[in-house]
Formats: sequence, structure tokens, C-alpha cells
Amino acid sequence: MADDKKSLALGLRRRDPELLDRLIEQYQYRLFRYLLYITGNRERAEDFFQETWIRVLERGHQYDGKSKFEAWLFSIARHLVIDWQRQKKAQSLDALTNPDEGAPLEFADDDPSPLHLVLSRESEETVQASLGKLPAIYREVLLLRFQEELGLAEIATVLSAPISTVKSRLYRGLEDLRMLLAGEAA
Amino acid sequence: MSQELHARAERLIAQERVEGISTADQLWLRQHLADCASCAARASATEQAIRSLRGWSVAMPPALASRTQFRVRMRAEQLRGEPRWRMVWAACGISWAFGAATAPYVWRGLEWAGHRMGLPNIIWELGFGLWWALPAALVAVILLMENAGRSSEADWKRQEN
Repeated sequence: MADDKKSLALGLRRRDPELLDRLIEQYQYRLFRYLLYITGNRERAEDFFQETWIRVLERGHQYDGKSKFEAWLFSIARHLVIDWQRQKKAQSLDALTNPDEGAPLEFADDDPSPLHLVLSRESEETVQASLGKLPAIYREVLLLRFQEELGLAEIATVLSAPISTVKSRLYRGLEDLRMLLAGEAA
Repeated sequence: MSQELHARAERLIAQERVEGISTADQLWLRQHLADCASCAARASATEQAIRSLRGWSVAMPPALASRTQFRVRMRAEQLRGEPRWRMVWAACGISWAFGAATAPYVWRGLEWAGHRMGLPNIIWELGFGLWWALPAALVAVILLMENAGRSSEADWKRQEN
């Protein structure tokens, strides 16, 4: 496993095009899902998806081969989103998405809702509606913990935040999601 | 059953899923859930929320991966060209510095050679000008060649799209 990471780091340093093709194939779903979770917008997620891989190409030498590649990948994607939001005069992802500090991101875009396009089953629509009501900072940690199954320390790396922050967001997000799915007000 | 016990159970239900709990806490929680219907329902709802989250899927936009691969390869090509450009600019800088440092000697040398050969002043002065302009002329040729390459690459991209 450690050897895999090291050879990955070497390949990224060399900007090996075959390796990058493979990585894009391998991580496309997980990266797109993550971007959709944090941007709440399908088209924007597509743009950031491409920009993230360009950044991986350009900054591949910064991957140390010690941490999980996906944690590094998500961290790059997250920084791109935050930079874009800063350009829109926001301080950070938190400032935009924290319900106490600003309006939450819209999970869906224009009509018809992109998420309606991607969801088919009725139960998924319920989950979609509930996730849409959750601020992005909670959606993000829930995804990283329960779908990506990253450890708390890895999530903290992605978020560049202390583990205590990760935990508090997870507890709050999980509680809100439970209440939303149960039909209670979050 | 006291409120404190329910509060502890609620805390452990979430903690178990978020960061894990000790074996002793697990045993206590199992026992409590067996005796308390409301906490058991809460545990079940929490588990259901996580299951729903894990089961939620996203449809990939068509050809997003291949479009991205194409863009990444294009950018990789550009990046491969950058060190070459740095070399060109470095060579120009060195050439200019060397030229500035040796200009008086070259001037005198050309003047001496021009007089020895009986050439009109304008000829060896033009020679001096040419000696100065040579690096810039070389860079101009490289730039023209590079631009020609870029425009054919743009044509190729348009055809790809």
C-alpha cells in the first residue's frame, strides 16, 4: 500500500499522462460526488472537476505519497471551490454555508433540478431533499465519513481544520440528517 | 429511567458511528437499547440515516472523464514546453549581458578590421548593429515558429471538438 502511494507520488511528479488518465477514470465518481455535495450545483461541479485534475497535474509534486490520495484530491478540490467563493467576496466555504453566517448553498441549480435528473428512486428523492436542506459544511463531512469512509484525521486534513471541528460537524450533521429524514425540523 | 441515562445513550449512539466507543460503552448501550424503546428507535433512525446516505447515488455527466483527460493532456503538453521557454529567455539574458560587456571591444575590433580592409565606416558599423541584433532575431524566429505550432494545435483542437 505504501509502495503504491510512493509510485503514485513519483508518477505525479513526472506528470505521467497514462497515470493521470487512470486516476481520472478511477476517481471520477467519487470526486464528482464530493464536488456536487459541496457546491450543490451540477454544472459548477463539472467545472471544478476539470479544474481539480488540471491542478493535480500542475501540483502533483506536492503529493507526498504518505497520505491517502483521495484525501489530497478532495483537499485540492475544496481549495478550488473556496478560492472561487472568495472571488465572490465570501470569506470561506463556512461563511457561505453556515446558516448562522450566510445563506446556504443551493443544492440544486435551475429548473429542472439537476439533482432530480440524477436521482431516480423515491427513497433517493427523500434523501436528496434532506441533504439539500443541510448546509454544505455538514453534507461535506457526512460524505467524507460515511461514503468515503475517511478517518477523522484524514477529514481534518481535507478540511484543514482541527479534529474537534470535524467531530462537531459530524455530530451536528448526523443529528440534522436523522431529524430531516424522520420528518422533523432540523 | 433517568434522563441522564437517556442522554448518555443518545450521545453514545452518535459517538459509536462517528468515532467509535469502548467495548464497555458498547455493552452498556446494547443493554440500554434493549430496555428503552425510544432510544432504540433513535438508534435505528440514526442507522437508517447513514444507510440512506450510503445508498444515495449520483449520475455522472456524459463523457466528463474523457473531456477532462483531453484537457489534462493539453495542459501537460503546455507544461512540457515551459522549461524550453525558460531556456530561451535565459540564453537571451546571458547573450545580452555578454554583448553589453564586450560591446566596446567588439566596436574597436570591427573598426580596426574595417580600416584594415578599407571598408567604408557604414559597413563595419552595420556589422556591429547586426552583432547586437542577432540574439533578438533568433528569439523572433523561435516565437514565429512557436506561434505557427500553436495555431495548428488550435485547428486540431477545433477538429477534435
